[in-house]
Formats: sequence, structure tokens, C-alpha cells
Amino acid sequence: MPTIDKMIFGNGPLGPSLAPWIRQRPTLQKFWARWSNWYKNAAGYRQKGYLYDDLIVEENPTVQKAISRLPANQSYDRVFRMRRGLIQSMLHTPLPKEQWTKAEADERYLTPLIEQVVAEEKEREEWDTMVVERLKQRKEGKKNIFG
Amino acid sequence: MYSLARLPRSQPLLKNVIKRSVSSSTAQPASAGGVSVIGFENKGPASTSSLTVAVKAGSRYESIPGVAHVLKNFAFKATSSASSLRTARETELYGGVLSASLTREHLFLSAEFLRGDEEHFLSVLASVLSSSQFYPHELNELVLPVVESEAIQAQSTPAALALDIAHTLAFRKGLGNSLYASPNYPVTIEDVKSYAQTAFAKSNISVIGTGVSTESLSKAVSSAFGSGSSAAGSGLSGGATKYFGGESRVPLDIHAPATALPTVVVAFGSSSPATPDLKVLKELLGGESSLKWTPGTSPLSQAAAKIPGASAKAFLLPYSDASLFGVVITAPTSPQAKTLATEVVSIIKSAGKGSKDEEVKRAIAKATFSDAVGSETLEGLVSSVGPALFAGGTIKSESFSSVSASSISKAAAELLKAKPTVVSIGNVSVLPYADELGL
Repeated sequence: MPTIDKMIFGNGPLGPSLAPWIRQRPTLQKFWARWSNWYKNAAGYRQKGYLYDDLIVEENPTVQKAISRLPANQSYDRVFRMRRGLIQSMLHTPLPKEQWTKAEADERYLTPLIEQVVAEEKEREEWDTMVVERLKQRKEGKKNIFG
Repeated sequence: MYSLARLPRSQPLLKNVIKRSVSSSTAQPASAGGVSVIGFENKGPASTSSLTVAVKAGSRYESIPGVAHVLKNFAFKATSSASSLRTARETELYGGVLSASLTREHLFLSAEFLRGDEEHFLSVLASVLSSSQFYPHELNELVLPVVESEAIQAQSTPAALALDIAHTLAFRKGLGNSLYASPNYPVTIEDVKSYAQTAFAKSNISVIGTGVSTESLSKAVSSAFGSGSSAAGSGLSGGATKYFGGESRVPLDIHAPATALPTVVVAFGSSSPATPDLKVLKELLGGESSLKWTPGTSPLSQAAAKIPGASAKAFLLPYSDASLFGVVITAPTSPQAKTLATEVVSIIKSAGKGSKDEEVKRAIAKATFSDAVGSETLEGLVSSVGPALFAGGTIKSESFSSVSASSISKAAAELLKAKPTVVSIGNVSVLPYADELGL
């Protein structure tokens, strides 16, 4: 689970989300899922055939890297959904109802990859700004396994 | 100030060096939980140690072309305990060097470090063997670009390319597999995973340490590799090697760098390991000068000295069940390469015949020295000790006492009976065919 400040101010390109906190509380999640599903249907992207992760702003290096790590079939499907959605946007019509994204098909295929890239960037930053300190205890307790 | 008067004070140091060479020659392998282990204790002033894991997973054992090359470049990437960045940065902090190298028979994972950091580097090596993650994105982002550049580098170096082709002609499968991955045969992450799983079986690895004793190393290895490393398995097995021979001609790419010279390789193989006779024969033909600015007195270097910028060097590539003996000829232009190749072939044909006793003695001395000096570097030590550990034999330096002028000429005659392997790279309309060279 990300830290509380990450959930409020956003975790890199992922934006603020209390979802990880809610997911850890089953009763709350059961209550919340109804609202969440209502909101996602009301937002209108499912009617144009998109998945939720297609809406993440991709114009930044982090998400670009995550997209480059998608398996070939998922990457192809993503482009297909975008082209189909763009055409529907121009026509100002939703897709036929049987082609709408179903709630169970609306999986977060990109978010885990973005989280992975964000974690890598964070690790690199930590190593880049690391300060080397000599620890006294370590020197005493250091055992030479070949000694 | 820096006079000879200071010499006595440095004498103990000299003694240490002598002691060190004595002690390292008596090191004997031990077994640590199924992993054979050997440590060379150098008691000299050197304050560095090294650990090398030799894995019997060279290109001869690969089931998919290039998978060994990809696995080599997957060394020290993400494991369950550390990311590749963490491994690299920690190594920098400790002041160590991690490296991986691939030969046709073995994959060597080495760590060189300051004495006292053994614990850390042993755990790094153990986690590489036991819990490498093999992420698909690491394959695409970190591993394949390096694999590709190494393959291109080899392609544009005529000597490396010629030797690679020579192996394919000589042994076809197994040892004939290319050392390098090829874009024609993509390697998937599943291939690498399954290859690594069989390759890193306990029976398939051995550990070589310098700056540590065998007993302490085997104790540490059995605790570090005890639970972590993959369970005992059958390991990889390649078929028996058979020598074929043949001819191949490759045009030199017009975009090749200016250092890429026309190259001809003439080689003879046999499906038995290299004998001391062949090692001496290599030195007898020579090609390498032992003195700067002179061509040397060996027949090959004398022949090459007639053409400025040309070289002809004898090589002997020993394997566990085969050997490849030959000469690499390079010259600035293809016609010059043709002239030199013709001359070299006549030298090879008369090799060992009527050589004087003093020449043979000189060659034996040179062979003894190069055999001994090879084990001074980590790379040389590992490449001679690793195969010996897998063969289960004792570690000893080669004995050349049985070599004489007659035994060399016999070995040469035996070798030349085989069908030659000829690879020419350059202007193929000029370079000679094998039969034109008189082979």
C-alpha cells in the first residue's frame, strides 16, 4: 500500500487514490464498490469501449515506459480500443450495447506496470542521493566468514 | 634515496610471493553439498579475493541458438533479494567488480573484491543462481541491446567471426554452436528461464576462489548455496563431439571498420582433448614474438614479416572432448592474404618434420611458461581450473616431459590426416579455395 501522502497527493502519474486503503477494509469495499461501479458507468468511457487504464494520461516518460513493457497482444488491443473510441467520439455516438466494456472485463492492465516503473525511479533516486556512513557497530560485529 | 640499500627490507615480500606460488600449486578441490569447490590461498601482499562460479552452460549445451549468450548477459540482474540497480550500486560501494563471461563449454560468473567482503559477494552469486527473476522487461531493456551489440562487434571482427564459423564447420553441433545470439533466432524469456533452471543445478556448477582456503570456502559455499541454489538436477548434457571440417568463404562487409582486415583461418580438429604435443607444436609454429619490435624466429612470424602489417598466429583451442588447432592469417589486402596463406599452408604441412632439438626445447620452454603464466590472471586461472573441476581430476600443471621432436612430428602427422577447416573472409574473388592452397 502506498503511503498516505501518496494516496492524497498522487503517486507519480497515477494521481490521488484511496483505493488501496479501501481495498484493505472488506466491509468498506463492499459498500464502495457499488458507488465505484455506478461512477464508472456514468463516466461514459465504457460505452465507447475503453478500459479504465486507457484513460491514464500517457504523455510522460514514466507511462511511456510502462506502455513499452506491455505484452504485444495487450499493446495491440489498447491501440485498437483507442482507434475505435476515437471514431465513436467523432460520431458522437456510443457503441452498440453488446460492445460496451463489461465491469468484469475492465481490468487494470497498466497500473501495475506504472507502479513498477515508479518504484524503479524511486529506487534510482534513493541510490543517487545516498550518503555513505561508516557504522561503528558494524565494524565490531562484522564476522569474516572465511576467518 | 632509492638505492639498492633498500632491497633487504623488501625481501620478506619476495619470500611471500614464492610461498604463494608453492601453496597455490597444491590446492585440491573439495565438495560442498554437491558443489565442487577449490580455493587458492595467495599469501602474498595482494589484498583482493575473488569468487567465480563456473557453470557448465556454454554454447555447446544450448537447445535454442543464442540462449547461452542471453543467459550470460542476464547475470546480476534482478533477483528476489535485490534489483539489478541495487546489485550494481552495492558492488560499487564495496569496490568490487562483477563480471560474466561465456566460452563454448562454460559460463563464468565472477566477483572480485577486497578481502573481508566475501560474505556479501558470495550471497550475490548465490542469489543470482537461485533466485534470478528473469523479468521480460529486463530482457528487452537491459539484456538484448547488449547481446545485440556484442554480436555485431563479433560480426565486424573478422578473426572472431572466422573462428566462430570454423567451429561450426569443424564440429557442426554442440561445440559448433555459435557463441553469439543471432537476430535470426529470437530468444524468448521462457527459453532463458528453462535453460537457467537446468544450467544452475548443483551438479552443474563449481566454485573457484582466490585468496581463500578450500576448507573455509567449502564451508561458506555449503551454507550460502545450501538452501538457496536450485536442487540437484541432471544439468545439461551435450552429445559427443565429432570432427567434420569443411570450407566457408565470407565477403568482408564494405562497411566494416578499417581495422577489419582480410582473414584466413586454416584449422585441423580432432575429437580428443589437447595433448602436450599439440601445445608445444603451437609454440613451435609460433607467430607471436617474445621480444618487442622483432618479428621473432618462429616460422610463422618469419613468413608474416615479409608483408608489412600481416600476421600469422597459431592457436590451439582445447575442449573437454575435442581440440581445434590452426593458424589465423591476416593481411592488409586480400592478394597479400592469399600469398601468406599459401606460405603458411606449406609451413603447416612440414610442421614438426626435421625440427632441430634446440627449436623443440625452446618451444617446450615457451609452452611451459605460457601454461604457467595463464593461471596468474583470474581469467586464465578460471579457464584452466573450471574444466578440470568438472572433469573431476586433480589440479596440476601440464607436464611436457614426454614431448620430443619425434612425438611432435607424429602428433602433427596425425592431425593433418583430418579434413581441413578453411574459412576465408575478405574479397572472395581473390582469396584462394582450400584445394588451391594445397590442402
